[in-house]
Amino acid sequence: MITFEGAAKLYPDGTVAVDALDLTVETGQTTVFVGPSGSGKTTSLRMINRMVEPTGGAVLIDGQDVRLRDPAALRRSIGYVIQQAGLFPHRTVRDNIATVPLLLGWGRARARARAAELMELVGLEPSQARRYPHQLSGGQQQRVGVARALAADPPILLMDEPFSAVDPVVRASLQDELLRLQEELHKTVVFVTHDIDEAVRLGDRIAVFRPGGRLAQYDSPERLLAAPRDAFVESFVGYDRGVRRLSFFPARELSLREDVVFGDDTAAGAAAASMRGEPWALVVTGDHVPLGWAGAGQLARVPADTALGSLDLAPYGHTFAVDTDSLRAALDAAVLSPAGRAVGVDAAGRVVGVVSQEDLGTALWSVTE
Amino acid sequence: MDILIELFAWFADPARWTGGGGVPARMGEHVYYSLLGLLLSAVVAVPLGLFTGHTGRGGFLTTSLANFARALPTIGVLFLIVLAAGIGLVPVLCALVALAVPPILVNTHEGVRGVEPRLRDAAFGMGMRGHQVLLRLELPVAVPLILIGMRTAAVQVVATATIAAYVGVGGLGRYIVDGQARQDLTMMLGGSVLVVLLAVLTTLLFAGLRRLLVAPGLRTGAVAGR
Ligand SMILES: Nc1ncnc2c1ncn2[C@@H]1O[C@H](COP(=O)(O)OP(=O)(O)OP(=O)(O)O)[C@@H](O)[C@H]1O
Ligand SMILES: [Mg+2]
Repeated sequence: MITFEGAAKLYPDGTVAVDALDLTVETGQTTVFVGPSGSGKTTSLRMINRMVEPTGGAVLIDGQDVRLRDPAALRRSIGYVIQQAGLFPHRTVRDNIATVPLLLGWGRARARARAAELMELVGLEPSQARRYPHQLSGGQQQRVGVARALAADPPILLMDEPFSAVDPVVRASLQDELLRLQEELHKTVVFVTHDIDEAVRLGDRIAVFRPGGRLAQYDSPERLLAAPRDAFVESFVGYDRGVRRLSFFPARELSLREDVVFGDDTAAGAAAASMRGEPWALVVTGDHVPLGWAGAGQLARVPADTALGSLDLAPYGHTFAVDTDSLRAALDAAVLSPAGRAVGVDAAGRVVGVVSQEDLGTALWSVTE
Repeated sequence: MDILIELFAWFADPARWTGGGGVPARMGEHVYYSLLGLLLSAVVAVPLGLFTGHTGRGGFLTTSLANFARALPTIGVLFLIVLAAGIGLVPVLCALVALAVPPILVNTHEGVRGVEPRLRDAAFGMGMRGHQVLLRLELPVAVPLILIGMRTAAVQVVATATIAAYVGVGGLGRYIVDGQARQDLTMMLGGSVLVVLLAVLTTLLFAGLRRLLVAPGLRTGAVAGR
């Protein structure tokens, strides 16, 4: 447990970087510090490993004031990941990862064996062990940065905007990786970002900082999106927080219709007859792989014995996974579908059913209750 | 053309290759003074540059001092020291050190200062102590620049070690000084060719040292850390 007790940082030039911060970071959880630029996130984070000394109040780890610890020894027991990784250019990947173990006096062989273990853990190829940082992509460098921070198995991991310098696709995969790691390792993670989406995705708890280094709200992601405490937090989490909040509700609870899903060998007439006023029919293969949408008007125009598979179908857009996706993904799939309906699939990509707009509307309505 | 033939004959003379006045002996003296001068300079300048670079203290003072030293006429320094300390190896070495320290000092200082603050921050953040940051990060990253400073110094030292002849301790400068005294142009030219040759060899030596001492991650023009 990390406790900020009225921790403050006043720089000699008069800047109040952090103003009397009171906050408790729970052990084994991911706590995200989020806020606009200059709101004191980095300064607060660095008080934990004494890279910044508070000018008021204190920071405690498991009840002990960090100022009672030798800074170097303290830092070796806390993993630290910085923006753009900050890897040593003159050391190979594995020697970068082995840095802290070597500082702790492990033998070279043991440190390198540990480095190999960590490379596997963060998803790096063993063949990259002897590469130099400049030979890696930005995303790979970040993985090395995370591996380096975890090398001595510290209970606490501090991460300062670790994924901000990579493109959105790589960032998403690094976030997934972190979630997976955290499920396995249960570290006490303090993660700084100014991306509220990243915060909501990764955090068990989110601390929103406001300019002047003050805490605006400290809550679970659900609570933060559902009940922002004031106008600042509301504008910071974004006016689409309603939609974003849908990510916390599973798509599993939607009712799916199967009566408008037809095999590609079904005759147009038969399909039209069983649609009961629905404007769109989803056509699938014999294996339930989606092919596309047929409109009711289209079915009425063609000869009744035409097989659905031979029609010119509208693209089905993208699907959502019924068991793993959220309501947000289902809504997104519906919005992007030409039929205005979302196609739900199972893990193997086979169509389970279709969500109509009315059903989606009902589900969204029940969430806002 | 005549002068080239004479120069060739000068080198071809068997007497040129034996005895105390022969090329091998003179070359030996010259290399010895140069090496000694360079090593002494490195011993002074590298630690000093590492210190000022690491602490950020005295940076202005050392660079100003180095620039001042660079403006000193070497031969003047030599004669000044001879006046003060008499003839011999000491004044020669002093002059060479005065010449070689500035480029090594400035490059070492700049090499350490040039390490990205981000990397220094990461080093401290992982729990390195000051001396560990210096030895495990700043020094290795500064090596390419330090070597460039040493190369500049070495070439200058090799060229300037000819002054040893003025105070009677030999070296390749003897051919130039003696040639001048005897109005023997061929001898002067022979001496100069040997000095130039040595300077070229020195440059090659540093190309080799660069391969040996610079971490592969810092070569290929990759700037520290990107
Ligand atoms: N060494 C320093 N001297 C003076 N002011 C500083 C110093 N370091 C930081 N500050 C100021 O303290 C405030 C908080 O900085 P901090 O780096 O903690 O913000 P941040 O929330 O991490 O911002 P960002 O999202 O831009 O990284 C800023 O106004 C910054 O300019
Ligand atoms: Mg910051």
